[in-house]
Amino acid sequence: MAAPSRDALQSRLSVLSVFFYLGICVLAARLLQVQVVKNVYYSAAAERNRTQLIRQTAPRGRIFDRSGGEIAANQAVFSLIYLPSKERDSQSLPAVARDLAPYLKEDPEKLLENLYKAVREQSAIRLAEKLPSKAMFKLSELRTIYPGVLLIRESRRSYPNGAFAAHLMGHMGKMDEASWRRLKNQGYRVDSWVGRAGIEKIFEQDLRGQDGGMRMEVDARGRLRRTLGDIPPKPGSNITLTIDSRLQKVAEDVLRKSTSKAGAIVALDPRNGDVLVLASIPDFDPSWFLLPDEEDAPINLKNIPAFNLAIQGSFPPGSTFKIVSGAAILNEGKISPEERTFCPGYFELGSRVQLCWYHAGHKWQNFLQAVTNSCDVYFYKMGLKAGGDLIERYEKMFRIGQPTLIGLPGESKGHAFGPGTRAAQKRSWYDGDTINVSIGQGELLVTPIQMAVLMGAVANGGTFYRPHFVQKIQYADRPPFERVPEELGRVTLKDSTWTLLKSSLEDVVRVGTGGKVNTPGLVIGGKTGTAQNPGKDHAWFVGYAGKPGEAPSLALAVLVQFGGHGSDAATPVARDFIRAAFAPPVVETAVPAAPVAEQQPLPMRGPGAVPVLIH
Amino acid sequence: MRSEIHKGRIDWALAGAVLGLVTIGTISILSAASPLPNASSIVQRHVMALLVGVLAFSFGAGFNYQIFQDQSKTLYALTLAMMVAVLIVGVNIRGHKAWIRLPYFTFQPSELARICTVLVLANYLDRNSTRIESPNAVLGAFGVMLPVIALIILEPDFSSTAAFFPVLIAMLFCAGASLAHLAIVVGFGGTAAVSLLLWTLLAVRPGLAGGSRILGFFYAVSRSSMKLALIVAGVFVLAYLLYRLFIMLRMQMPLGVFMAGAIVVSAGFVSASAVNRRIKDYQRNRFLAFLAPETDPQEAAYNVNQALVAIGSGGVVGKGVFAGTQSRLGFLPERHTDFIYSVIGEEMGFVGTGLVLGLYLIMLWRIFAAGRIARDRYGYLVCVGIASTFGFYAFVNIGMNLGLVPVAGIPLPLISYGGSSLVVSLWALGVVLNIYSKRYAFF
Repeated sequence: MAAPSRDALQSRLSVLSVFFYLGICVLAARLLQVQVVKNVYYSAAAERNRTQLIRQTAPRGRIFDRSGGEIAANQAVFSLIYLPSKERDSQSLPAVARDLAPYLKEDPEKLLENLYKAVREQSAIRLAEKLPSKAMFKLSELRTIYPGVLLIRESRRSYPNGAFAAHLMGHMGKMDEASWRRLKNQGYRVDSWVGRAGIEKIFEQDLRGQDGGMRMEVDARGRLRRTLGDIPPKPGSNITLTIDSRLQKVAEDVLRKSTSKAGAIVALDPRNGDVLVLASIPDFDPSWFLLPDEEDAPINLKNIPAFNLAIQGSFPPGSTFKIVSGAAILNEGKISPEERTFCPGYFELGSRVQLCWYHAGHKWQNFLQAVTNSCDVYFYKMGLKAGGDLIERYEKMFRIGQPTLIGLPGESKGHAFGPGTRAAQKRSWYDGDTINVSIGQGELLVTPIQMAVLMGAVANGGTFYRPHFVQKIQYADRPPFERVPEELGRVTLKDSTWTLLKSSLEDVVRVGTGGKVNTPGLVIGGKTGTAQNPGKDHAWFVGYAGKPGEAPSLALAVLVQFGGHGSDAATPVARDFIRAAFAPPVVETAVPAAPVAEQQPLPMRGPGAVPVLIH
Repeated sequence: MRSEIHKGRIDWALAGAVLGLVTIGTISILSAASPLPNASSIVQRHVMALLVGVLAFSFGAGFNYQIFQDQSKTLYALTLAMMVAVLIVGVNIRGHKAWIRLPYFTFQPSELARICTVLVLANYLDRNSTRIESPNAVLGAFGVMLPVIALIILEPDFSSTAAFFPVLIAMLFCAGASLAHLAIVVGFGGTAAVSLLLWTLLAVRPGLAGGSRILGFFYAVSRSSMKLALIVAGVFVLAYLLYRLFIMLRMQMPLGVFMAGAIVVSAGFVSASAVNRRIKDYQRNRFLAFLAPETDPQEAAYNVNQALVAIGSGGVVGKGVFAGTQSRLGFLPERHTDFIYSVIGEEMGFVGTGLVLGLYLIMLWRIFAAGRIARDRYGYLVCVGIASTFGFYAFVNIGMNLGLVPVAGIPLPLISYGGSSLVVSLWALGVVLNIYSKRYAFF
């Protein structure tokens, strides 16, 4: 066999060389992809590799009341950071530890151990967090002696009023499992603090601001190389509430002084739906949650009274519902307001006997008297005349069983009660139900906020405003958010009905069951109520108040939980609150003589609380 | 080609490309080593290697290359002796007994063996050129290479061993070996090696097969005879279909060719499967240690990722020499040796990496050109061997930096830090220059 010819070999060489040139083309294409096309992606990755941020918590947005008083503020606190450096020898560390320990309230040995660790790993460590300003003064002196000791200013939430509007404000807390899953992609860290309830939670994104910090260059082992720069933190947005701090304080104080020391007061401006007061007692102090150690809180933080009676508590409205059933009776013209009916103290329906709360009987009563005295028998009879369907229609008009959309989590929508709701449950409606609903018993349930909104509508002539507690949010980067009144609905009644209804409510306060609320120089309309409860009954007072000749400027609902009779337990609370609201500074006026109804021998049960006797 | 004949004795293009690569390499080594604690020792050694390298280059260029053919037996004996010596007196560095410590420096004989084997093989193929188309010539070439790689594998250094095969195939191809024989070798060896490698990798890193159904099935084959039989049957069916396709394309070839191909591929597959099933777990781990020395697979993935970040973040013009964060802050592993291309990518950008590719292109082109006009077949084969060695090493190393090729301990010729490699590479290029200068004759 002959050796292959030169030409044959040359052509094989050409094939081989083409292979290599193709290989080079593949590499060049890949280079273009990595270095040119994906350059931005890889640059970001390289930057993440080399930088580490020593975080500086941003000041949280402040929360003000309607007149600009601080409800939630920030306190300057300082964190102490130690930055080890290669040049610095570890000889000075024991001295650093000895000098720092007293201010950090830490064991010098442990501190020294941490310092050695920082030097060994060449990484910055946070020696102490949330140091008070007092310690800071001394520490800043030490900083000049020992380079590497660094103080950074941070902010901590503070609540200057302590336990104040706690249910509305909510509280802060450490990141928990669920929040972490939700927030981890939004720039939070595992050790971030977040709003865990109330406004702090609802407006977390507005309040949080943007953390700043020191950017440090680190190497692959996480050792510190140099400082790259400071990123100043951006404070969160400030929020102004419609809450009136002074009234809120009064409301909480009077509730704490009430017979059962539990209850809720909701006060609104009937002209626009501003929530002036949203008080629920028992409450808690949101600053308990900010303590460095949970053990320091006066009660176990898992057992705080977090239930907001004002919006989450639903109770039978009791006689306060006579405002709705009264409107139904009057407005349809089925009954003349002058029509009188006799109250013997009881009412017979078939084989059942329903009592009036005033067992002696109110004798002859017309509409005005029946409301003023909260006569149950009148409403039994008139309710039967009007019929369950009509009353249910008015319940709907007065938005019973519908949430007020105040925008707080967990709001109860209460429960409407009538032939329609019964039919939805595939159960029948009886006359006994009609007489029950006429006086606000049965399956009716309302919340204090619902009653306050309802009274606002009564006070302003029928407009239901959506209650709101935020007046303004000031953003750093966009125009502020300002709340405008929002109508949820409107009740249209005849003028004569409004006039009569309002004068009856004003009579209640002047001479009727709400007499204790009566205040000279103010026009107050209202209605007491007693919500039946398996234990002790809950006491209601709902009403509106204003200066004579002006539109009412205050609508309120007072609920004293387990307080007993509305006329006894709720009225003093409402009186103290209304007087404080209209008389700054608070002037104690003599309590006027108790009106007629109250001079009667003390009834066994309060108005509206009707035992059902079965023969 | 005629024009080449009238040029001067020295191929300035080749010399320039080599100078360029060595310069870029030196700058990157300075940059990559400077943050290291032993930077001064690295720089000293590199400068010394450069000086010795210049001597070696001059020696190669000035010394008639034909003497290596005359003294081929001596060269072969010396190579083997050197490889045996390293196993006896060698220094163990990071699990590899690959270095001989001499006064003032250490020396890595396998680097020298790389080029010596090319020279010996070129001689063998030249002597057997008349019967190059017989299977015995191909087997003989493997026989020549076998003792050398057997000694290297004992060090153990799997990557260097594996790198011999493509060079041998390239030389056989350019020596005029029968394509059928080459196809059998490549088909059998390729199938067996790739299957075995893949199975091993899949056994250690099941995540690799995660997205791909084909890979998952492929892995299952290694465990089930049924599936293996299915695959073998599939290969034969495919071969038959290809045969029909070729007829339809009016490129009729005997059915035997296709069936032979199917047999080769199946044989490779079956033998790989047989080996794979007999492999014990500890053996598999050892095999893996060959594949990815000093690294566990996860670490290798981390390294490649950091290399990509370094290269990618360099962009078009780079971050500037001595300013690469990935490299200087230690994110990039092995940055002055196996991953030096990433340092170039980060600090000099696409301009730098492209320049390196271009210089390699020129270098290969010039070595091939020298081979084309070499005065004898021996010179031609030496050029093919040297070009293939450099080309393969450069491709694998750059491909590894770019995440295209699995991590293997293969240096980047003329650029990576490593005195033995640099000196031997420069000597080999000197030999090419000598072949070029002696081109005025034909065989």
